[in-house]
Parts: sequence; C-alpha cells; structure tokens
Amino acid sequence: MSRRLLTGNAAAAWAARLARVDYIPAFPITPQTEIIESLANWIDNGEMAGRLVTLESEHSMLTAAGAAAATGVRVYSATSSQGLLYGMEMLYNVAGWRTPFVLTNVSRGLSAPITLEADHNDILAARDSGCLQIHCATCQEVLDSTLMAYRLAEDERVRLPVIVNMDGFYLSFTREPVLIPAASDVDAFLPPFDPENIAFRASAPASQAVAVLGGSPYSYFRYEMHLAAMQALEVYEEIATKFAEKFGRRHDAVEAYHCEDAEIVLVMMGSFATKARAAVDQLRAAGQAVGLLRPRLLRPFPAAHLQRLLAGKQGVVVIDQNLSMGKGGVLHAELASVLYGRKDAPPILTSFIGGLGGRDITAEEFFEMVKVTREAVASGNTPPPRLLYNRDELREVHKLQAIAHVEREELGKGGDKP
Amino acid sequence: MYRIRFHGRGGQGMKTASRILGTAFFLEGFEVQDAPRYGAERRGAPIFAYVRAARQPINERGIIQRPDLVIVADDSLVPVPAAGVLGGLTANTLLLINSHDPAETWTERLRCRSPIIILPITGEVEDRAEMPYIGATCAGAAARLVGVISREALAAAIREELVALGPDIIERNLDKALAAFDTMQAHAGAVSEAAEVLASSYTPPDWINLPFEDARRSAPVIHAGLTSVEVKTGLWRTLRPVIDYERCVHCWWVCSSFCPDGAIAVTDEKLPVIDYDHCKGCMICVAQCPPHAIEAVPEHEAQQQEASDKQGVGK
Amino acid sequence: MTDETTSAFRRMKDLPSTHLLGTGTPMCSGCGGLQALHEIYDILGEKTVFVNAAGCMTLLSVYPFTPFRGSWLYTAMASAPAGAQGVRDALDILLEKKRIPPEDDLDVVVLTGDGSAYGMGLSATSGAMERDLDFLYICYDNEGYGNTGQQYSGATPHAAKTATSKGAHGFAGYKKDLFSIWAAHKPAYVATVIGSEPLDLARKIEKAKSMKGPRMIIALAPCPPGWDYDPKDSVEIGKLAVKSGVWPLKEYVDGEVVHTKLPHPRIPIEEYLQKQGRFAHLFTPRRDEALLAQLQAKVDAYWEGIE
Repeated sequence: MSRRLLTGNAAAAWAARLARVDYIPAFPITPQTEIIESLANWIDNGEMAGRLVTLESEHSMLTAAGAAAATGVRVYSATSSQGLLYGMEMLYNVAGWRTPFVLTNVSRGLSAPITLEADHNDILAARDSGCLQIHCATCQEVLDSTLMAYRLAEDERVRLPVIVNMDGFYLSFTREPVLIPAASDVDAFLPPFDPENIAFRASAPASQAVAVLGGSPYSYFRYEMHLAAMQALEVYEEIATKFAEKFGRRHDAVEAYHCEDAEIVLVMMGSFATKARAAVDQLRAAGQAVGLLRPRLLRPFPAAHLQRLLAGKQGVVVIDQNLSMGKGGVLHAELASVLYGRKDAPPILTSFIGGLGGRDITAEEFFEMVKVTREAVASGNTPPPRLLYNRDELREVHKLQAIAHVEREELGKGGDKP
Repeated sequence: MYRIRFHGRGGQGMKTASRILGTAFFLEGFEVQDAPRYGAERRGAPIFAYVRAARQPINERGIIQRPDLVIVADDSLVPVPAAGVLGGLTANTLLLINSHDPAETWTERLRCRSPIIILPITGEVEDRAEMPYIGATCAGAAARLVGVISREALAAAIREELVALGPDIIERNLDKALAAFDTMQAHAGAVSEAAEVLASSYTPPDWINLPFEDARRSAPVIHAGLTSVEVKTGLWRTLRPVIDYERCVHCWWVCSSFCPDGAIAVTDEKLPVIDYDHCKGCMICVAQCPPHAIEAVPEHEAQQQEASDKQGVGK
Repeated sequence: MTDETTSAFRRMKDLPSTHLLGTGTPMCSGCGGLQALHEIYDILGEKTVFVNAAGCMTLLSVYPFTPFRGSWLYTAMASAPAGAQGVRDALDILLEKKRIPPEDDLDVVVLTGDGSAYGMGLSATSGAMERDLDFLYICYDNEGYGNTGQQYSGATPHAAKTATSKGAHGFAGYKKDLFSIWAAHKPAYVATVIGSEPLDLARKIEKAKSMKGPRMIIALAPCPPGWDYDPKDSVEIGKLAVKSGVWPLKEYVDGEVVHTKLPHPRIPIEEYLQKQGRFAHLFTPRRDEALLAQLQAKVDAYWEGIE
C-alpha cells in the first residue's frame, strides 16, 4: 500500500492494473488519454500483464470489449463524451449480451458547440443502456469504485457492464493523494474472473446475442436486465461492506453528509459535490441545518436510500450538472419521481442547473440556492428552475458575439446592454 | 367493426390483398385500418395481414385476436402452428380457404365450429408466376363475403392500389378479383361483426410478477448447436422435388451442393435423399439435375399420394 | 493461384457429401447467400465462431434456433470485424494463459452482407486488416440492402432496379470495387466466390483456412426476391454471372491478382441480365440498346488484357 499524488486518470489506470485485466480495447479522446497511455506503458514495460489494442473508433472499441468479455476474459476500457456517444449503439448492445466489463467515462460536455470541459450530459445519455453507473467525487473514489465495479459487473446476480464516471479536468487531470492498495489485498477482494457459461469454446458451442421474434420474449429478456440491475443495489451493498472491511473506506450507494438533522438538503452528483460539502460546512457554521446527499449509483437508482434520507425534510435543492433540453435537470426529474406521492416527502424540491461545460459553482451560489429554497419552504411556492448564470457572464458572451459579427441591433435590445 | 385476417405465404400478395380490401372499404365510406405483419421468415414463409373497417373511428390497433373473417390463401398453411391461421376463431368466425378440398373435408379435418367456405383453386397452384395474383383473388372474395362492398368499389380499389404495376397487370388482377367476387355471390354478406369486449364483464389478465432469473439463464444465449432443425421449413413448400432413383446417375454433388438449405443428404451408397421436413421447395435441384431425374410435384398432390400410400400400407 | 494438384478438391466428386450447416433457417427459398454459406461451412467446419453484422443472416440465429454447430455472436451493422478482434484477442489471451486447452480454440469468421461490407462496416474492416487480425471475412453480396427490401447499396450494379431506384434507368451509380479496396490493404488473402461454382469455392476456402491473417471472401449471392426471379434459377443466374464475366472469379495473394476461372468464350451480358426482373426495363417495352451496350462495354473493359 502506498499513498501518492495521482490524477483521476492515473487512479483509473491503477485500478485496471490492480484488477489484473486481461484485455483493453482502446481509442484515445481528451480528457481520457492519460488512462490508456499509462496502461500501454505499463504493458510495454512488462509491469502489467494484459493486452491493449487500439481500435479505429469507440463503436468498434465497445464491440471488441463486449466480444472479448463474451469470450470470457476480464476487460477494461475508457472513453469520454463524443466517444461515449459514438459507441452508444454498442453500449446498449453489450449490456443486452449480459457481458460484464468495466468502462471509465471521463465526463465532458457534449457538442455542439464542442467543448473539452466537464458536465454530465454524456454519461446521462447512457442512462437507459443497461450499463450500471457509479459516479465519483474524488480520485480515491475512482480507484476504489473501479475495483468494486468489477465485482458488481461479474456477480452472477448482475452480469451487466458498469461505467465508472469521473469529471474531466476536475478529477481526470487533478492530482490528489490516493491510497494505492497492495496487489495482494486487491487479489483477496477481487478474485479472478470466472466466466461460467459466458464463452466461445470448440467444446461448448454457444450462440450469443441472438435475435428474438415478438414482444413476449423481448419483454422477458429486457425486463430480466432490469431485474438484474435492481438486484445490483443489494449486491452493491454487500460489496461496499466487503470493501470497507478490507480497505477501511466505505462507499455507500448514496453519500449522506450531515443529513440526519438537516432541514434543507442539497442533492448533486460528481466532483462538484465536494464544493457542496464545503458549503454545508459553512452553512452549519452559520447555524443552518443543511446537509448533502450525493448518489454514487445512478443506475440502479438508489430510490429507497433517497426516500429514507429525505423523509421529513423541509426542502431539497437539486443541482444538475446536465440539461435535458425542453425539460430541465435530469437528476431533479429522477428524484421527483421517487418522492412523489410519499406522505413524508419534502414539500419543496427546487431545481438548479449549474456547472455546464465546466462552469464553476461558487460558495456564494450554494448559499443562495439554500436561501431561495428556504424562502420557498416558507411561502409554499416552488420557484422555477434556474440556470446558475451571472450578469457578467452574459456581458462577456455579448462581447464575443460582437466580435462574431452577430447582428448588433438585435444585441442592443433587452436590458443587458454593457 | 369488421375484423379480417389474411393468411398466406411471403410472395403471395397478402399485404396487397389487405390494402385492396382496405381501400375498397374506404371507398364505401368506412373508417379503415390495414397492415401486414412480418416475422423473420421470407418468401414462402407464413405471413399475415389484417383489415379493420367500421362506420366509427377505429381505436383498436395491432393484431386481430378475434377475427370475423379469416382468409387462407394457401391451404397448406392451415395445419402450420406458426402460421396461426386458427388463432382466435369462434363460432362467429367465417373461414374462407383457397383449396382443392371441399368444405366438409375441412370441417372434419379441423373439428371446427366456424363456418367454412371454399374458394376453389383455379389455374395451377404450382405455377409460381401466378403467386402474386392470389392476393387480389382473396381480396375479391372477401369483398363479397362482407357484403358491403360493391363490384365497382372493388375494381376502383384494385386500380388504385396497383397503379404502379401498369395496365396489363392491373387487368389480370381485376379479372381474378372480380371472378372471385362473383364466385362468392351465394355467400354475400355472410360475415357478421362480433360483439365487443365489455368492461362490465371481462376475464381479467393473468398477470404475474416476472421472477428474477440470473444471467446464466436469462441472457439471450443458445447453449447448443443445430437447434434450427426443430423448425420445419418444409411447410413453406408448395412444390415438392421428387427424385426418380431409376434415372438418378448418382452425381450427388450437384443437387446436394446446390441445395441452399443443405436439405439433400448423401447416403453411404452415394444416393441423394431429400429432407422434406426442411426442403423449402426452391426447385434448384430440379433445375440443375443433369439427367433430369428430379420432378416437381405439387405439394398437395404429393401429400395426397403419401396419405393413400400410408393407407395402402395399413391394409 | 488455387492449385488444382494440391487441393483436396480436384473434381466435383471431392466436394463434401455431408453438410454441416443446419436446416430450418429462415433464409428465403433459393437464397444464393445461404447456398454459398453452407458450402463454405462444409469446408471450414464446426470449430468456428461466426461474428455477424446486421443483414439478412442476422436471422440465422433467432432464439432459440441456430443452424451452427459451432458458435455465433451478433454484433451490429458497423462493427462485426471489431467483434472478431475482441473474440480473437480473448481466445489468444486464454490460450496464452493456459486457461483453455488448445483444442478449444476456434477460427473467427465475420459474416456480413454487402450493406455492411461495402458501406457502414468498411472502416471496421479496414481497421481489422490494418491490425493484421487473424480472421476470415465472408461477405454475401446480394447487391442491395436485401433484408430491408432491396434498396440500393454500394454494391448495387449500374442500371439495376431496386426499391430506391425504380426510375426508367434503374440505379445511377456503379458497383464499388470492394475486392480492390480490400486488396489495397495487402491482407493475406482476398477471393471472390459464388455458390454456383462450388469447386472453385471449396478450393479457395480450403486455401484461406490454411492461412493466417486477414482472409477476405466476397460471395456473389443471387437473391430471388431482391433480383426478382424464380428461386429455381439461383444457380443458373450465378453461372451466367461467371460466364458473362460480370462476376470474375479471382484471388489476391502476395500482391498478385489471379483469375481462377476464365469465362471462355465469354457470353453476352444480356444473357445474364434478362433472367432478372431488376433488369427487365432494359428489354421491355423496348430494348435499351444504349444502356445494354454501356454495360457490355464495362465488362469488356474489365477483361481486356486478362483474357
């Protein structure tokens, strides 16, 4: 065991190395490249067994990943944003094959316009694929979650691919102290992959991923995937307990921070949740009963955890680092759907969109979101969803538009003249 | 509401039949729904198409569970479970079968409560060039059976639906369809509309909570080889290739290699043997046999011959 | 060139008399693609895993039915060669780490139609060849998107009527030269075959089976519904495709392209065309002499210098 400064990318690579993965189909994309470069170097230097093959696209990369897993080896791969979407057809496919492997997604805002910085629309586009999702807030969590993800994916009650998500830049290129566990401890926690009957062998013919005819068999196979994903909640709890016993760190399906006595609870995913945690500390210091919930699992959705942890709260602040055009924040909708109709559900659920394309969320903004929510609790009126966006930001965009020769007269209208 | 189901084989124009009948209803002022339904199988395999027609807007959708009229373009499909010809038949359902055999034979054969009418087969069923016209014939007969479609509306529907095929083909279809329409004169209006399912008295669905089954079982994986032999694609056949072993010169490699389905096996004595459970009746072997030792026999004749041979053996 | 003296298949008599591919598939009656596949499978044998792309043959394996004695994996339309990469690499890893015995190894075979091979799957095929993947690729080429009702594809020949080229002159484009595109990658082997020439096919598959690296096969697949002819004519049309020079039987090895069966004497292309409904507009209501001459000239130009 050693404690080192590692980027999120390096932590992911270390996890794949410690998991003794057999096969890494790869394709480079910013900000994921450091992961596959690290693995390629270790394999070249003989520090790691395993085979890395660069495919010609993420679509092919995910096909090769699923096909290798379907042949019975332990597979790892990594991608980001546009790459995840380019491979989207295969994400749905390989999940349907019921082949276990782990994919790191380094979250990055989607095109267009193209950007390199983080938000969660890429990973949320994979929400309904059948791949399970673990969302990380620290580099340590990236390493730990990847190891846990292999046990989750390979469990006979689950057998679905798992995506471990980290935010681009804020984790991928950010170094933090990370405990790298001893290989022997990891071996004890994560035994070699036993593919059972997932295999192509001359002695045991198998036809995998075959077509079905008609809605009844299709419904069966799809709903069994859903039931397996639901089983994964319980399996995850077991794995979290085993992991805590072995390594002393517990990663619950939902991280709850100062929630027990909280009146107002912030809910958000990913690395910016640590900023929310700092804000909770400040608010607590100011005498406010505020807490934070951070779902680590998005699929399966930890509905029961959230229902229990939010029961009886006065107000909930949902901060979505994503945007479903024409609807709003995805996490807000997900949360509302599991709280609706419950007697003890918080009466106020406010929605904020922030951090799109890596846009910062400041401490003051956290404080203000809590204040707005408190006012809503007092008045009983839920305010409309709000994008976290300042007057100065719009002014700067307008300057860019002037240079871009956007019609100036149009710009002159409205109240935001510089 | 009229609920009508056409059963035929891929290539026999069942989609066209449903569209002709749908348009004919439409021209008579009905609200209409028509649609074909395909499985994975192709030309020669069982398919069906359906038509709904009502004086009121139609909210029902999808498969017709309880038909008022079932039209079978190809009588060899009746006993094929995958074709689902007999699905949902009630005493109210009229069954129209395109067949050489009389209605009594079918009633007996099927032990069927549904009234049966025969559309006599004219022309050579083995002539595959005739296949596309079967649809129009069936549509013509169906139009008369429902009793609310005029000869003119039927003709107009055929002209409208087949406009892309040119005047010659339209004329041939018209001839076939109108002849069938006339043939059914005695049964005009024989189809009656079934009662609707009532919310006040219905059989509740037998829902279950789908049990969780782990992936060893619930992954879409076949853990064996060669299971396709369970599928009797021989039922697609309308013509049967029959080898005359007197004339066969034992060049087994020709018919056996060319058979796309691998349905011609070679015995130790180097004799080709056709697997009729799986021969789809493409007739490539007939066309390619160097000494012309394979004959094409209409399937219904071959089956009759088989049945009488069996009886002969029994005696 | 395919060696008639060393091949186990010297005469038609030497062709396999037992057939390995199972009956009961949902392929159309008279399918030229299935014909080629069953002939190929007889030679390849059951120690194979087929990696399939979306196309007619996706439906070879519909739960719970499969005609294969060996294994099968359906991927997607664009990426069957990448699936083959994953399976091959995984088998190699398992063999290397001695997690499976050598006798459990399999030959990896990609199976796609022309829609995938000539179009959507070309990037993945190029990648697999560039990585020198040890696999066999079979394209059944029925010259259109057959599974969806024969719309034109990159493999459709000039002037053919398809569901998306119903105009007076048929398809305006020209069939892509996939053989040359593949050969430009310098893979181990490229060959054209057709089910109606089973001896030539058997020799080529026998040869491909004996080699390592990317081995690429295009089988012209006469298609009764797509080309509009009676199923019984599949073999005759296939033979006419070869005799007229429309479908040259050839192979590429070590930088050389060799024709394995010279159509001699070459019959006029119209004998091939007039058998098929998709070319009927060239003959009725009147002969389209200009277009027929153009099609003939194209074939003549191909064979100039070869014959």
